[in-house]
Amino acid sequence: MPPIIKSCATILSIILVSLCVISNAGAEAKQNYTSTFERYELPDVVLINQDGVKVPLQNIFSPGTTVLVDFVYTTCTTICPVLSANFTNFQRKITPDSGRVRLVSISIDPEYDTPKAMKAYLKRYYAKPGWDFLTGSRQDIDKVLKALKAFTQNKMNHFPLILVKSPAENRWIRIYGLIGTAELMKEYEKARQ
Amino acid sequence: MFFALALIVLFCTTHGIAASGTPEPALIAGVTSGEALRLGEQMYREGVLPSGEQMQSIVQGDIPVVGGNFTCTNCHQRSGFGSAEGLVRTTPIDGTRLFLPLSKFKGIPVAKSRRSAMIQNDEELYRPAYTDETLARVMRTGEDSKGRQISDTMPKYLLDGRDMEILIYYLKNLSSVQEPGVTDETLHLATVITDEVPKEDREAMLGPLQFYISNWRLSRQMERSARSGAYLQEGTAQALRAVSLTVWDLKGPAESWQTQLEEYYRKGPVFALVGGITTGEWAPIHRFCEKHKIPSVFPITDFPVISDTDWYTLYLSKGLYQEGETAARFLHGRDELSREVSVVQVFRKDRAGLALSKYFQETWQGLGHKAAQDHALAGNETLTADFWKRLAFEHKNAVLVLWLTAKDFPDLANFPGQKNQTGFIFASSSLLGKRLYTLPDKERKSVYITYPYSLPREARVYRENIAASLKNNKVPITNLDIELKMYSLFSMLSGPLGRMRSYAYRDYFIELLEATPDLSVVPVTYPRLSFGSGQRYASKGCYIVQLTEGPNPELVKKSEWVIH
Repeated sequence: MPPIIKSCATILSIILVSLCVISNAGAEAKQNYTSTFERYELPDVVLINQDGVKVPLQNIFSPGTTVLVDFVYTTCTTICPVLSANFTNFQRKITPDSGRVRLVSISIDPEYDTPKAMKAYLKRYYAKPGWDFLTGSRQDIDKVLKALKAFTQNKMNHFPLILVKSPAENRWIRIYGLIGTAELMKEYEKARQ
Repeated sequence: MFFALALIVLFCTTHGIAASGTPEPALIAGVTSGEALRLGEQMYREGVLPSGEQMQSIVQGDIPVVGGNFTCTNCHQRSGFGSAEGLVRTTPIDGTRLFLPLSKFKGIPVAKSRRSAMIQNDEELYRPAYTDETLARVMRTGEDSKGRQISDTMPKYLLDGRDMEILIYYLKNLSSVQEPGVTDETLHLATVITDEVPKEDREAMLGPLQFYISNWRLSRQMERSARSGAYLQEGTAQALRAVSLTVWDLKGPAESWQTQLEEYYRKGPVFALVGGITTGEWAPIHRFCEKHKIPSVFPITDFPVISDTDWYTLYLSKGLYQEGETAARFLHGRDELSREVSVVQVFRKDRAGLALSKYFQETWQGLGHKAAQDHALAGNETLTADFWKRLAFEHKNAVLVLWLTAKDFPDLANFPGQKNQTGFIFASSSLLGKRLYTLPDKERKSVYITYPYSLPREARVYRENIAASLKNNKVPITNLDIELKMYSLFSMLSGPLGRMRSYAYRDYFIELLEATPDLSVVPVTYPRLSFGSGQRYASKGCYIVQLTEGPNPELVKKSEWVIH
């Protein structure tokens, strides 16, 4: 059991205080992300998961399962911790009614992100079964990043991105920007429709 | 007399002792100043409250985050100087700038990502100076000193009054005192050389370094900014300060180095160590740097300290340790071999043999195999034909890992029992040197060699260009391999040296090095050099190679650069 916010009172108090301030400041809610429908062709590559097991990429996106993909690295400081904390919270929120879902984090620093480093990272974020972290050769990772329009020449220039693959067809929702869990749940439901 | 008294008072103040000899009275939230700084640092860096509980916060409106998973250090960095990543720009919160208005020319990190309406522009980040009250408010609610709601990526913390007071006290002191080795005019650097290093290797490290330092200057763009007054307006004109280099020669046994280093540092404090060379272990210098929090960048050594947590020394690679680990990983991935295959390591009980065999063994066992059998040879033990015959007889179906130098490596053409082996013999290119190219033609297919550099064919053009450049600049070439490693140092160093400007703080210097874009375009020595927060070995890989047939063999890759 992760030592996440210990009581509802704690989380409520933070949110309430924030809401009061937002209300007082008269700030207008501003959408900080974009969400678009896309189609991608996955390359035929074999990656390696946090247990050192080889995983053909195509096998991850089996029909009937909604797959959420993000692009992170274990020593990232700003974007990845927020993306990963969101995955943690997302796993906590989903229920049996949420359908079959799988989370996949793909390393954008494959030289440093060994299975051991990825396993420790998942543990730090209290990942439950159904959330895998994948690394591989630089060549294969670049192929994946390019196919999913997530490639940057340099990992230091990466951007916040979550892709949600619909369970039924080659239809993806591309979420560009940092979002909260409620927004992620909304996009997830949209992908399942 | 007055001066002496003032010194005593200063000492007592800085060491938490009242002049009367009694403990310093409580200053901050019931704890001494020193304790408040320690507890504040723990909150800032590790996300742990003074009570030992984890800090709790909410990001992006509804995501709960605990403790170390997203600390102040993540975005604001250890220095407090902020960062830019993706769409997020994090403003500086060091003890000086937090309590001054944030405006143009105050060192707001430049956005790195592509242009996007989601990236805050400079004006949106400007704000009045914080007070204790507005600072507490922004940390709890996200409302800044101007009354605006800042980015949701800044966590909203649940902190009680005492914890908040401690954290604010820490922030007031963060990066607020000038570091040793820095003056308004000069940034002092040193390089360490141990006395057993051959003269030509010493020259190969020192010659290019002295040339680089004496010719160091800001990029044209930075110089234009400085001359046009931007740095003057910001008060950071010291960007134009000179850089000096001192040589710290260490003599005698490694046990005496610490004392010698302390003496050098006492006489002439430096901001950082750059380059340096030893044929032995870098550990004593590494420990000295940890103790004094001195950055040390790219010393030339085959024996770095391997640590996941030490902070101040940044190495080019893991040296020989990387070769041992790579051989084990490559062997682990051979599907044609039984998982129970027996492995024999032969090595001398010297520093190189022990380093290679240790990391092979640790990795091999870590991958779930039974331990390799070690044949550790004493320093003077001769490797006779009988030795090899006995080894071949006793380990008929074993993989042989021969961590041996050219002098010890067996003549494979007459190797007894070779036909009975598994077809796998491992060797280290670092130990074999040029002997590598003399392996007999018909045995080349069974010898797998660890090669921790860019392949000669891929690097040839770059090597030639750099050698020509050294020649043009009248820098003697005494050992090109070392001089090319120095080139990697300069490639890594130039950005951070220029970008520090007035903010010459050691943590910031390291943060700038960590954020340097991957160096992969000019694979002069290594295919790729890269860092990230806390990463301390720039080159992460090592090829397994074999020789092609014929009188002029070339190296061909049998593995990826990094084997998982």
